Amino acid sequence: MNPTSLARGLAALLALALAFPAAASTPDAAPITVKDARVRLLPPSAPNTGAFMVIENRGEADVKLVKADNPVSKATELHTHIDDNGVKKMRQVPFIAVPAGGQAVLAPGGLHVMLIGLERPLRDGETIPLTLTFDDGTVLTVEAPVRKPVAPMREGK
Amino acid sequence: MSRGQRLLLVAVAALALAVVLTLTVWEPSDGADDLPSAVIGDAMSFSLRSTEGPVQLSDFRGDVVLVYFGYTACPDVCPTSLAAITAGLDRLTAAERERVTVVFISVDPARDTPTRLTEYAGFFAPEVLGVTGTAAEVKVVADHFGVFYRRRELPGSAGGYAMDHTALTYVVDPVGKLAARLDHGAPADVIAAAIRRQLEPPPKDLL
Repeated sequence: MNPTSLARGLAALLALALAFPAAASTPDAAPITVKDARVRLLPPSAPNTGAFMVIENRGEADVKLVKADNPVSKATELHTHIDDNGVKKMRQVPFIAVPAGGQAVLAPGGLHVMLIGLERPLRDGETIPLTLTFDDGTVLTVEAPVRKPVAPMREGK
Repeated sequence: MSRGQRLLLVAVAALALAVVLTLTVWEPSDGADDLPSAVIGDAMSFSLRSTEGPVQLSDFRGDVVLVYFGYTACPDVCPTSLAAITAGLDRLTAAERERVTVVFISVDPARDTPTRLTEYAGFFAPEVLGVTGTAAEVKVVADHFGVFYRRRELPGSAGGYAMDHTALTYVVDPVGKLAARLDHGAPADVIAAAIRRQLEPPPKDLL
């Protein structure tokens, strides 16, 4: 095999690995899946943004999302919002619990993955790989498309 | 005890009770951040700055003005509110929309320069104007609207600090009076209806 075809082969393997993010998880780990992952498109001047998703846990043990990473911001943290009589308070949280047979919903106004200190403005439609680490050792990388913030559909607080 | 002394005692007791109530009810703390209620119908004015220079509420007399307090490092709550406002504007006719201004007031003047605010606000809709002032100027305006905000350090977070803030949208009518407060998360239809209510001339039989 010449070096060019070796490089092509490696590139193909890499593409395959990216296309099937679940393949990156530990084989014995709880079956955790992520859907509707997206990163918020914000103005270029906004230093931070948020990512939302639904994490499902089909396993029999509770798990916790304990860490998130991404390549476009200086730091990645887990945050939530507390609504105190119309006053919104953003706070960092040490983990996000995903109950056995249940799910954790990361949505506007509540839990989110915070991308702090964006190193470049994001583009509408590009995808950002978010690497999620759980306390049972599962590591998932999900491709989250960058989307404009949408208006809420229902009355809420 | 004379009648005068009794009256004095009652007055002192009432004052003490008022002080205690003020401290317990109004002192913002983690337990009870009670929002002071805004004075609906109170005429108001403010003077802040955008990249274009000084901004006063009176500059928009004749327009319906939506006022929102936030900050650009806010990744979730502020963009949700501004996206809802933008969607509300999209439901208006062009003629209606011409008479609406949205003022996004930063409660984080230490980080939000007028340049950053202009870029941030314009991303949502051309009607959104990003303004701020000195810490003291922002405080005066926020107090006027009954808006609570506070810098909250986030130890161990790369974000440094967050601004806790009231996430309501204030609707100011064309003569400069506070007409309504909209909850965070109010859908676009509710926002559009609140704007239209202030644009429509009142029925003649009510005048």
